[in-house]
Amino acid sequence: MEYGTIEREIYIDATPEVVFDVVSNPVHVRQWWPDEADFSLVPGEAGRIGFTQRDSSILWEQFTVVEAIANRRFSFRWTHPDGTSAAADNSYLVTIELKPEGDGTLLRLTERGFRERGWDTAKVASERASHLTGWDFFLPRLPPYAARIRAH
Amino acid sequence: MSVKIDDDLWSAIGDPTRRRMLDLLLSDGTGTATSLSAQLPVTRQAVAKHLTVLDRVGLVKATSAGREKQFRVDKVQLARAIAQLANVGAAWDLRLQRIKRIAETIQRQTAPTGNGKKAKTK
Repeated sequence: MEYGTIEREIYIDATPEVVFDVVSNPVHVRQWWPDEADFSLVPGEAGRIGFTQRDSSILWEQFTVVEAIANRRFSFRWTHPDGTSAAADNSYLVTIELKPEGDGTLLRLTERGFRERGWDTAKVASERASHLTGWDFFLPRLPPYAARIRAH
Repeated sequence: MSVKIDDDLWSAIGDPTRRRMLDLLLSDGTGTATSLSAQLPVTRQAVAKHLTVLDRVGLVKATSAGREKQFRVDKVQLARAIAQLANVGAAWDLRLQRIKRIAETIQRQTAPTGNGKKAKTK
């Protein structure tokens, strides 16, 4: 039983330029994952993403960009403790790679970290992730967002 | 109530030796502390301790046939533990679906530039 890596691949009918912007620009990242996103694309610089809790408080997770190669690769570490630098043993490494395919983009995502970190931490992040990203919470947000983009 | 149980379940399955023991029990059907330690680089005593942990969270069930306890995997409980792990992957599936939707929406709204060979006229 090896659970150290999650790998996913998805085809997107948009150019790598558009997809790169959606996955790496905090303005867009807020629309598909956290409620707050406060980070720069400078590798190693401390940033954070925030999730609004049921009681309206915000749960912050540390977030640090590892690599940002325009239109090709975006990788970051997250969930390391506040005040520490992101490293292999204290955070998850997410890598998003983009490859042009036809008129669109093949997006390949990996998240690594379970074995290096130990199960307890993995469990906490998992519960948090599955709890905070339910469809019931995010689905209502998508149509208004699409409409906003259209209005531009 | 379930939170505490899940905590124990996760730490039980989080240990690599215990995961190997579960693998062995799954492929052999049953096993004892002695039979498992023969296949692992740990003592019979250590295996017995691990079995106690697995037993406590319900991942294995013991029957006392013969002079040594026979253990087998409780597949329902194991499936539960695996389902929790799979949630991490499911969360990324949802996020990727959103990324796809947002990117494709933007693409449709963006006026085609130089390489707009597939651009449709409206």
